[in-house]
Amino acid sequence: MMSLSSFVQKASSLIDPANFNIPSLSSNDNNPSKASLFRQQFRLPDSQNPLQEITAELILPLPNSSSDSADGSRRVDRAGNRYTGRLHLSERFICFSTQPTSFIPSSTLSASTSWTGQTHGTGPSGNGFTLPLSSIRRVERLHSARDVFSLALTTWNGLLNKQQEPNFSPQRLILQLVGSRQACERFCDCLKKGLREGMKEVDNLRSIVTDCYSEYLLSGTKAKDANDGEGRQPPDAGLGMLFRYPGDARKLRDRSKMRLWGEYFRENGRNSTLVRQPTFHKLIRVGLPNRLRGEIWELTSGSMFLRIRSPKLYEETLVKFDGQESLAIDEIEKDLNRSLPEYPGFQSDEGIGRLRRVLTAYSWTNAEVGYCQAMNIVVAALLIYMSEAQAFFLLSVLCDRLLPGYYSTTMYGTLLDQKVFESLVEKTMPVLWEHLAKFDVQLSVVSLPWFLSLYINSMPLVFAFRVLDVFFLEGPKVLFQVGLAILRINGEELLDIQDDGSFISVLKSYFSRLDESAHPRSENPKLRAITRFQELMVVAFKEFSGITHSTVTEQREKHKDAVLDNIESFAKRTSIRNLGPESKRLSADDLGTIYDRFYEVLYQWQQHQELAEEERMRMEKKKSERQSVLGPPVDRQVGRVGLGPSPTHMDYDAFREFLAATSKWAVSDSPAPARKDSSAPGYSSLRGNGKSLLWANRRQPADHEFMQRLYRKWATDPEEGLSLQNVVNGLARLKGARDIMNNINYFFTLYDDSGNGQVDREGILKMSEALLFLSRRGFEGTITATQSLEDLNNPRGSDADQNRLTTDEKFLGSVSAFIRRCFEYADPSHPDNQRGVFSDSTTEVTEKLDSFAIGDDDEEDLIDVNDDKPQTSSAAVSSPQPTESSEKSRPRSESANPALDPNNPLHITLPTFRMVVLADELLEQFFESYFPQSFHLSDHPHPASLAASSSLSSNLTTFSNIGARASASVVAGAPVAGASGGIVPPGKGLRGVLDNIVTDGIRMAAEVKKRMDDAQRELERNALGGRDEEDDEDDDDDYPSRQGASAAAMAGGISSWGAGAYGADPERRSVRDADRDLLEGAEAEVLSIRAPKEGASSPRARSPASAHDPEVVSKVVEFES
Amino acid sequence: MSESASANGPKPSSSVKLVLLGEAAVGKSSLVLRFVNNDFQENKEPTIGAAFLTQKCTLPTRTIKFEIWDTAGQERFASLAPMYYRNAQAALVVYDVTKPSSLTKAKHWVAELQRQASPGIVIALVGNKLDLTNDGGDSAGAAAAPQAESESVGEDGEEGAGEEAEGQLPASGDARKVSTREASTYADEEGLLFFETSAKIGTNVVEVFTAIANAIPESNLKTGRGAAGAGQTALGSRSGEDSRVNLGDRNAATAKEGCAC
Repeated sequence: MMSLSSFVQKASSLIDPANFNIPSLSSNDNNPSKASLFRQQFRLPDSQNPLQEITAELILPLPNSSSDSADGSRRVDRAGNRYTGRLHLSERFICFSTQPTSFIPSSTLSASTSWTGQTHGTGPSGNGFTLPLSSIRRVERLHSARDVFSLALTTWNGLLNKQQEPNFSPQRLILQLVGSRQACERFCDCLKKGLREGMKEVDNLRSIVTDCYSEYLLSGTKAKDANDGEGRQPPDAGLGMLFRYPGDARKLRDRSKMRLWGEYFRENGRNSTLVRQPTFHKLIRVGLPNRLRGEIWELTSGSMFLRIRSPKLYEETLVKFDGQESLAIDEIEKDLNRSLPEYPGFQSDEGIGRLRRVLTAYSWTNAEVGYCQAMNIVVAALLIYMSEAQAFFLLSVLCDRLLPGYYSTTMYGTLLDQKVFESLVEKTMPVLWEHLAKFDVQLSVVSLPWFLSLYINSMPLVFAFRVLDVFFLEGPKVLFQVGLAILRINGEELLDIQDDGSFISVLKSYFSRLDESAHPRSENPKLRAITRFQELMVVAFKEFSGITHSTVTEQREKHKDAVLDNIESFAKRTSIRNLGPESKRLSADDLGTIYDRFYEVLYQWQQHQELAEEERMRMEKKKSERQSVLGPPVDRQVGRVGLGPSPTHMDYDAFREFLAATSKWAVSDSPAPARKDSSAPGYSSLRGNGKSLLWANRRQPADHEFMQRLYRKWATDPEEGLSLQNVVNGLARLKGARDIMNNINYFFTLYDDSGNGQVDREGILKMSEALLFLSRRGFEGTITATQSLEDLNNPRGSDADQNRLTTDEKFLGSVSAFIRRCFEYADPSHPDNQRGVFSDSTTEVTEKLDSFAIGDDDEEDLIDVNDDKPQTSSAAVSSPQPTESSEKSRPRSESANPALDPNNPLHITLPTFRMVVLADELLEQFFESYFPQSFHLSDHPHPASLAASSSLSSNLTTFSNIGARASASVVAGAPVAGASGGIVPPGKGLRGVLDNIVTDGIRMAAEVKKRMDDAQRELERNALGGRDEEDDEDDDDDYPSRQGASAAAMAGGISSWGAGAYGADPERRSVRDADRDLLEGAEAEVLSIRAPKEGASSPRARSPASAHDPEVVSKVVEFES
Repeated sequence: MSESASANGPKPSSSVKLVLLGEAAVGKSSLVLRFVNNDFQENKEPTIGAAFLTQKCTLPTRTIKFEIWDTAGQERFASLAPMYYRNAQAALVVYDVTKPSSLTKAKHWVAELQRQASPGIVIALVGNKLDLTNDGGDSAGAAAAPQAESESVGEDGEEGAGEEAEGQLPASGDARKVSTREASTYADEEGLLFFETSAKIGTNVVEVFTAIANAIPESNLKTGRGAAGAGQTALGSRSGEDSRVNLGDRNAATAKEGCAC
């Protein structure tokens, strides 16, 4: 029997294809699933990667006392016990396991069944060893007669202690490598390298090992015999040494267990050099002796390896964060007095102090988890058997590996495993499952505490620790097996229950009788001796042996998304609900969209940065070993809210990404070249089916000063970044108001750097730059000033494309007029006027300035603008006080002169800004609809935004009409002239700014032109037609004028600025002419401003002005009438 | 004792699922412990997931068996809460009168319940740790004070209780940070039952549960759990009114008589 199974094992390992082409893995092999499976199997720290693996035979010397009986997977011959398995090498470990490994590169999760599937009591690591390379003292290559590649490993086992044990012989492991000579050599080379590195850690190893209870156990008796006076203090084996261990030591047969373990250690090595043989697993199954429990937990869970790596981390962490406070510490403090309060150790300061320190230290090392209720109970339990440092590292392994996500801020792991558990119950006990479903009993309300606190507060402590013994060896599947067994054993009774209450009470009473006989009425005394707990263990590990690590993994995969979705929808609605009153200005859909986008961007940005960081590390040739020993494993997947603590703030770059996903203007103009059709979305979306295109490709965010301003405006603390609250508030203020005044004010404050209600010359230019920036991708149909009227007047139906184009162009004109007017109406910033225009009491205000003070009332300002054209009756309709004297405009025009002097600092105030904006139809619409609507949330870009034009515009309809009419007869040289009004006199810096604006305009025009090429001919025809129509159209001649403008753009391919600058006859001009004209126009404008009244009118009469310049309009109207 | 009370007369008995929600360490478990065992523990183990307890409450016309789900309060356990308030017919949302943030959290829970729990769920807002305030400090006056409050809330509303509570704020030894008026106004707006309690000295604890028992519409009880709440949206809108009516009832008949515990 024995030899047969060994044979089968050997055979199967030989059949394993991996044995024939042993993969030699380089250190940059980054197959995460393989590496993590490897670590999982051998309980290795996250820094370890599988470097080499090879089939080998482990030959152990025959034990002196052959106490344990023969076992299946071992063959005894003269040389000793032989095990066939796989030998693995990582950076710092050499591992051997008889469990077939399946983390060969091709393996998938489901294929991993092989090594996790056959763990009948042996755990995923099977028989074998996991040795830190530092624990290996010497490696010899044995020359055997046959052509066998043999290595002999001599370990530090027992030698790190100062005191020599009697009859001690060094531990020597013989390994016969099976594989090609080349493969063996390669393995040895790698081993050699590792060993050299490992030497550095011997001191660490010594410091840990000498404090192991096993060392004390093996040397302790002898030390007493030696009578060296001191006698060794036993190492810290938990609070139990001070406050007694739970349970009756005699009943638990603690002493005999201890003897067995001592024997096992002597033969198979102890702590870091222990070799796992079948007896090891058996000894664990019967329950660990109190004083060794902590050490074995540490060993089987792998937390000892973390401690060896950084032996002082625990103490250092405590020192480092001494005296600091955190939310976690507050929470810990609340629970210290209520953690296993029934255990005497936790009624003492000593016990509570230890608990406080371990929980606190962990909350610092893993701030993402911090502290979660139930950790206090688990750690309290650990501390009964281990030292603080041991508990600290074990807690870390628990949180990171054994109970992933259990204690995270969303507890997704807990919820996920509940789902998994439920599905396993459904699968294995369908009748019970149906019964529970029928009576609407939710299983997880009962089972959740089992998992979350590892049965510690469900079962009597002694039994919970027995479960833990196996749990640390075999992994999380144990929790499921035990849970299923509990339900199976109580199945009959559970089928009678009809509500949660009785369900709970059945189990409660079961747990309280675990120590009773499982078969109290049996004739057979042996059977009677079996306790209910023993029965539970048998059922768990025999009947549910099919529940393996891979079962659990598969089920977790299956339910993961649903669980995360649930958590996320909960988190989302909670978080949105808590956004405060400001957020109420946005619709629930909008908030939902912001929320989703905020986190999507954050997580993608985070991932992006992690990848970049990784790349950087690789470039620097750093080992992929992580800097920190503890903490959650690096996961390169995109994070999710449901997975736990989310990043809460976005920096400016992430904010750009957010904007790019929100607003078209925030998308960069120069996308990555490789991307096909990447420049298209912006414009093609304008044609109507915007949505799909708008969100299609990944958008490269632009970077513009405006975005920086927005960021600073929204952030509570720009250093910290934007929180969801910041973003929501920011958007609420923009989109929520649906009020043009609000939007204008908002825009103004963005540029009011000093916060004194003034924007200086530089600011004005930046504003206009921003206007161009925001509009450079068109208006998505939101600015269609006279669109509706035009449609009425244009029975043929308007070509959307043409209209859009002209709107864009006209907007450029508006912006240039904006600049001009800003300068024209700006207030000089005299030193004595610094207090701001709002203080009317300034005594030295000149007469000119007085007129500005009046202008502070925005209503009047609005009127003043109109006042320049008193003859326009329609303007009179729109203005409450239309007949204000025109003399008033005179001083203002004069005052505009000093405004242009660079030595004469000037500023505009909010009322001025408002006036200037409202004076222009397009700008007005820009602020009324486009600006807020360009932030796309849940709304659909097109139809809604058109309808959303608010009431304010209706007041100004007449005004719009005037603008439109004007544009009909004059296709504008003025905008350029207006812009240049700012250019010429000031110094270089300003010119540079304006040059940028022009460049922007030119770039845009070029894009326009590209798209216009196809339609060119048709447009020309239309343009002519349009001119013909001009006579017929009385009210609105906007359409033909646009034709003219677009024709101009086509003809020259010049900037849209330029496009506005051409007269009615564009075909005659070349591009160069246009440029020259642009400059001439500029000069002309300067002249016009210098010589106020007459000068202003004459050049404009020659090259007629912008449609939207009310001043100009009035003159044009005059001419016409 | 509840058994003996119910044995007196065969009253119709039905069970009500009740869930306790609220910030950590506001005394949810202590309230339940007081109600169920008339006991108080200084160091109560934190609730992991949720604790389940039952207690009967005998009303003049019927007996109600509360199935109490006492949930964990730590913030991160919040995502588990839907599991527990599912199908609940009643909820105790608890805050700590000495901790303003706990009232904020309580409001969040109320909002969550109103949107996500069974329609028609009866919600009681409970300010616990009244013993730490002046009006709860002397156990003699403790019983009277809250009663006066609830009356003043019902009748002259704005003035009485609120000013009284606020006037006491600066008083020495008073740890109160949440005025009665603030909470009761909120409770009124949302149609919640409102109490201030002390689980430590027992003030108003039984009253809370009795009021809830009274506030649960008869029709919600018959079918027992599970089906309760489902498809009874119409009752939902009325529950607020009911509760106020019943609050009056409770004041008329003295509370101790009302409940068997």
